[in-house]
Amino acid sequence: MKDLIDKLIQEKLAREAEAKTRRHFIKNCAQGIGGLALSSIFAGCDPLTTAPKKTQAAFSERDLNPLATLAPPYSSKVKSVIYLHMAGAPSQLEMFDYKPELQKFDGQDCPQSLLEGKKFAFIKGTPKLMGPQAKFKQEGESGNWVSDYMPHFKKVVDEVAFLKAVHTDQFNHGPAQLFMHTGSARLGRPSIGSWATYGLGSANQNLPGFVVLTSGGNTPDAGKSVWGSGFLPSVYQGVQCRSKGDPVLYIKDPDGVTRDLKKSTIDAINKINKQEYLKYADPEILARINQYEMAYRMQIAVPEVMNINNEPENIKQMFGVEPGKESFANNCLLARKLVEDGVRFVQLFDWGWDTHGNVRSGSIDMGLRNKCREIDRPITALLLDLKQRGLLDETLVVWGGEFGRTPMQENRGNKKMAYKGRDHHGDAFTMWMAGGGIKKGACHGKTDDIGFSGIEGKVSVHDVHATILQQLGFDHEEFTYEFQGRNFRLTDVEGEVIKEILA
Amino acid sequence: MLKNITNRYIHLLFIAVGIFLIQSCQTSDPVDFSTQIKPILNNKCITCHGGVKKNGGFSLLFESEAFANTKSGKPAIIPGDASNSEFIKRLHTDDPELRMPYEKPKLSDDEIEVLTRWIDEGAKWGEHWAYSLPEKIEIPKIASEAGFAPNTTTSFLQNNIDNFILARLESEQLTPNEPAEKNIIARRAALDITGLPPSLALLKEFENGNLSYENYIDSLLSKNTYGEKWATWWLDLARYADSKGYEKDQGRSIWKYRDWVIKAFNTNMQYDQFTIEQLAGDLLPDPSIDQLIATAFHRNTMNNDEGGTDDEEYRVATVIDRVNTTFSVWQSTTMECVQCHSHPYDPFTHKDYYNLMAYFNNTRDEDTPSETPVLKFYTPTQQKKVDKVLNWVTKYGNKETLKTYKDFLHFSEPVYKAHFFKEFKNSVYDDHASVVFWDDGNLIMENAYTNKANFVYLKYKSHYNGTKMTIRKDNADGEIVGEFIINKEKYTPVTQFPIKEIDEKTNLYIETQNNSVDKEVNILNLYWVGFIQDIPGKNQPGWKDINTEFVNTLNTTTVTVPILAENPEYMKRTTQVFDRGSFMTKTDTVEPGTPETLNGYNKEWPQNRLGLSKWIVDKKNPLTARTLVNRVWHQIFGRGLVSSIEDIGSQSDAPSHPALLDWLALRFMNENNWSIKALIKEIMLSGTYRQDSKSTPNMYLIDPENELYARGPRIRLGAEAIRDQALAVSGILSNKMYGPGVMPPQPDGVWQTVYNGSKWEESKGEDRYRRGVYTYLKRTSPYPSFLTFDAGSREVCTIRRTVTNTPLQALVTLNDPVFLEAAYQLAKKNEVVGDIKESIAAAYEKATYSKIQTSTLEALYELYDKSLIAFNEDPEGTSQFLHFDEKPTAELSALTIVANAIMNLDEFLTKG
Repeated sequence: MKDLIDKLIQEKLAREAEAKTRRHFIKNCAQGIGGLALSSIFAGCDPLTTAPKKTQAAFSERDLNPLATLAPPYSSKVKSVIYLHMAGAPSQLEMFDYKPELQKFDGQDCPQSLLEGKKFAFIKGTPKLMGPQAKFKQEGESGNWVSDYMPHFKKVVDEVAFLKAVHTDQFNHGPAQLFMHTGSARLGRPSIGSWATYGLGSANQNLPGFVVLTSGGNTPDAGKSVWGSGFLPSVYQGVQCRSKGDPVLYIKDPDGVTRDLKKSTIDAINKINKQEYLKYADPEILARINQYEMAYRMQIAVPEVMNINNEPENIKQMFGVEPGKESFANNCLLARKLVEDGVRFVQLFDWGWDTHGNVRSGSIDMGLRNKCREIDRPITALLLDLKQRGLLDETLVVWGGEFGRTPMQENRGNKKMAYKGRDHHGDAFTMWMAGGGIKKGACHGKTDDIGFSGIEGKVSVHDVHATILQQLGFDHEEFTYEFQGRNFRLTDVEGEVIKEILA
Repeated sequence: MLKNITNRYIHLLFIAVGIFLIQSCQTSDPVDFSTQIKPILNNKCITCHGGVKKNGGFSLLFESEAFANTKSGKPAIIPGDASNSEFIKRLHTDDPELRMPYEKPKLSDDEIEVLTRWIDEGAKWGEHWAYSLPEKIEIPKIASEAGFAPNTTTSFLQNNIDNFILARLESEQLTPNEPAEKNIIARRAALDITGLPPSLALLKEFENGNLSYENYIDSLLSKNTYGEKWATWWLDLARYADSKGYEKDQGRSIWKYRDWVIKAFNTNMQYDQFTIEQLAGDLLPDPSIDQLIATAFHRNTMNNDEGGTDDEEYRVATVIDRVNTTFSVWQSTTMECVQCHSHPYDPFTHKDYYNLMAYFNNTRDEDTPSETPVLKFYTPTQQKKVDKVLNWVTKYGNKETLKTYKDFLHFSEPVYKAHFFKEFKNSVYDDHASVVFWDDGNLIMENAYTNKANFVYLKYKSHYNGTKMTIRKDNADGEIVGEFIINKEKYTPVTQFPIKEIDEKTNLYIETQNNSVDKEVNILNLYWVGFIQDIPGKNQPGWKDINTEFVNTLNTTTVTVPILAENPEYMKRTTQVFDRGSFMTKTDTVEPGTPETLNGYNKEWPQNRLGLSKWIVDKKNPLTARTLVNRVWHQIFGRGLVSSIEDIGSQSDAPSHPALLDWLALRFMNENNWSIKALIKEIMLSGTYRQDSKSTPNMYLIDPENELYARGPRIRLGAEAIRDQALAVSGILSNKMYGPGVMPPQPDGVWQTVYNGSKWEESKGEDRYRRGVYTYLKRTSPYPSFLTFDAGSREVCTIRRTVTNTPLQALVTLNDPVFLEAAYQLAKKNEVVGDIKESIAAAYEKATYSKIQTSTLEALYELYDKSLIAFNEDPEGTSQFLHFDEKPTAELSALTIVANAIMNLDEFLTKG
């Protein structure tokens, strides 16, 4: 019997050592070429059939390592996703959706017909329309509009495809962020990154598959649920890497413990656990051995990838990083490093975009300009840097907020506010995507003259999700997980791929 | 002649037997709908012909639909006549436009054959096994009981559970494992019952034979730690947390409910009573304080304090959550589907959902930041005053007035909150569930009932002196009902003002005047308006004092817990069906009612939550007891008898041991009188549970999930148990029970929530070492190491914690200061000066409850050696590592490293 177990352990180690071979196996399996023999070894390789299930034979690669790489069921355009979320909801009317007509109506009462049957978070009575507070120019060969709040962005405007008429049915931050990231405004569903990591595993076994970076001084309104795994196993939830303190909780060895000593500790643990396996033949023990080895490697790899000090000076300048601080610029550079190292899904949240006009930092003319300044250079640098490294073709970059803002000036409590502000607005707002498989310089969707509603090419949050999944190689209608007796999808029962922005 | 006849007779007999044989080959048993037909319909047909879609006007969800006319004007199924049934014809045809399943592979010949035969036999529609419960189950007879079985089998058969298990094992030609060693089973049972390893004294008693296994189990079940362990499970279902959830995620004081659950388990409250008190304790006659606390079960729903959110929308979300949670927790049924459309698989209609919702739609809580109604817990001094008032009311009033005053003193309901106000002028509904009045502000309170009161109670925050408030009937020109001056208040008091008695429902017009204040300035926030009948005995001397005492008591601050309180008749909400589940589009009005598929509703039960809870624990309900025994089994074996513990219904996994499930369910209700302790004990006493958990690669191949129970359970401990165990074996676990959530050390910067000033304030003293069940749980940021070990954030009901095995878990047990401190204590307490091997062996045994094997000792000794060299070379490292020790030595440091390794062994993290 010992021979058989040694063989199993040997096989496992061999598989790890020869990542190439393994990828080959799994690829075959997912494409159905491997046939019966392989499907029994890698029983968890078919993400289409709900949860990876153990079959009659042995244990699956996923039993040992739930982040083992899996090939997607369809050909994919990208390997990784970087999702940039501006928490608080940026004003499309001051950034990308140019509405000269709105200027003409500046200061006039909003037509009643627009207000009927609508609910706003704070606007009461009849608000007044407010013209764009930024200046706009057509940029690049595409001639897409970009405001002077984003002066660097024109350099990359031809890389991105705009969605000008995205809509959501949520108009409060928490639920809208949940909807944007989990496909449901209520808690309990897995986030996009969790779905992606569950379906594809991670290409780098020394790093988490789904990394979350936050800036702006706060985590998103909806809390950690926006990168939660919902009903998927918790191993697929986003791992928040922090720029201050330990990058990952408990990743640092205790003071006084050297790396060698930690290695000896893990060696001793695994040696005894192997004996335990001989006794109990429980594959969970083999999985644990594997996880301890991975933990040791992560302790080296994570601090390394999270350290931006060693980046060349010109790169640091390009992004405008501030080492040692928590900043969006740092996070953009980290996002590039992470996808470069094979992380599947990198989620950035930048807090502070809620521009109601109740405080200076939350004003459309001043606060928003400052927030744009904080992201303009880093985002431009991120796209350029990915491009110059040949990574843009295999990465999908998504930018957006949880909703947009009203063409009307906010009048909280039916009063004039201290600063210029706009209320939450879900009927029409702008998002963009760039990278692999995305039509460069495209602009899909159009809003009415004042930017209140979409009039052409309206897309929903579910459509955005369907498109992201498609780029990763999934059909959003087939990619399901069975939970409480029902098959769940990221896109629930809706969603259509936005073909207009695909190359 | 006789011979001929005989021959002929024999001849005929042969023919008869022959015919019989042929017939029995051909006809076999009639087709069974539940096991043979329903699975085919569910897998192959119902996606297009079921709850959501009814293509061609044909649905196979309900019997009435299946035999009804389709779009073609004719029924698709003609019972008794398969060849003329369109349903069957369409399975055969070659025309791809007509052939069913449409654009999917053709059904197999066997499938078509069984469907055809079913229709020819009359197309009898059957009920799924889950929706009826048999009256009696026979215990399987085992060959071994006749005396010809191997010894293993004899020692395996400890109680009736084992008969069911062994019958299946024998049919699969498997033999169970030997019983586990005493130390192993002792640790396993203690972890399962109390969530902690056994005390050494108790273990010794059991090991040396002074205590039988049964007495050992009884002894564990009698410990208070039992309630703490099993409450952890129930609190997942109850979605218990110390914060409200959503964006702001402010703290919530609801720990009294957690303590109630622990006590209920420890006193072994019958499960039917446990159910009734949590769902409807407030509706019981003269409910006790504990019965009111129990209703906090459904106040664990989230509360949205985010600016700009519609309280009614989130109140409705709460009610929906209560319907869903009630059915998930007690009926293993997912009702979420039915919110928008009839259930795609299970026989529940869209309307069933709203009938159920009507039970929950009439509680006083309305998603306000204050979370009212909240039950107040008076100090003994305060309680004396409360009693004084209540004694007075008892003396001079009747039962009804007494209830009114009890309720108002305990939770200040019923009152009209700011939602009831309309037609604002110079006043505005504020974000925090109050109305802001300016000078000359007014509004209308529609359809108010004043209970013939001579006083109105107002809860408000007044920012200026001298505000005149006038209350009139109907409108600005109406008769004045009350007029009084409100002055500036530092706090938010409840104040009593005189009004005229009104004996009808009426609109009230409320107005504020304050000329000393600028226009459009907030002079007053009004939170609620309440009318209760006056304190009786008005003519008696002392009434005034009692009245003052009453108002003062309303303004005391106390510990609170949110509870359920039902609307009085005059405040009842109607419940309407939401078209496609959207709360914005309401259609038909519905009354409370339970799904027809399940047990009937006794006419004697009231049509409210109390009646519903009685319906749930009625012995005729087919799902309640099965759900409970299945989940308790899952807690112990890591797998349910129905492995989909979330779902017992037509889409659930087939039970591995259907008869055992039903037998346990019946026994739980009838013989054991809903006793959870008795159920746990019965499972623990079984030979099935007591087996060794050893497996072999071969056994693993045959039964990877241990579905057949040829070996004992071997499962990684839960999040709380991993920490509790580390603290316990190192001797630093506090046994303090109850009270507000504690905040043991966690890394800085983990709590970071918008608009929320709350801080993680590290607990002091023994509160740092309390059991995990007492750890403060903030929904948007749960205690990180628990989260890593698969505990949830309890935003919604959690039926199953998916067990994962990740590198982040290794980092917790290797590096979290909590685990290092435990390792240090384990090392220090077991250090035998001068004998390293002895020290290692002692620490290992203390942690794992097993004698150390030579190879293990060697591996750990080698680690010790390496560590000692490292620490000897680096004295500074030593003092950094053991910074909490007064005189850290290299030896103790090295032993701490070893103890840390021991606490990371699979054996330690697993109950084996």
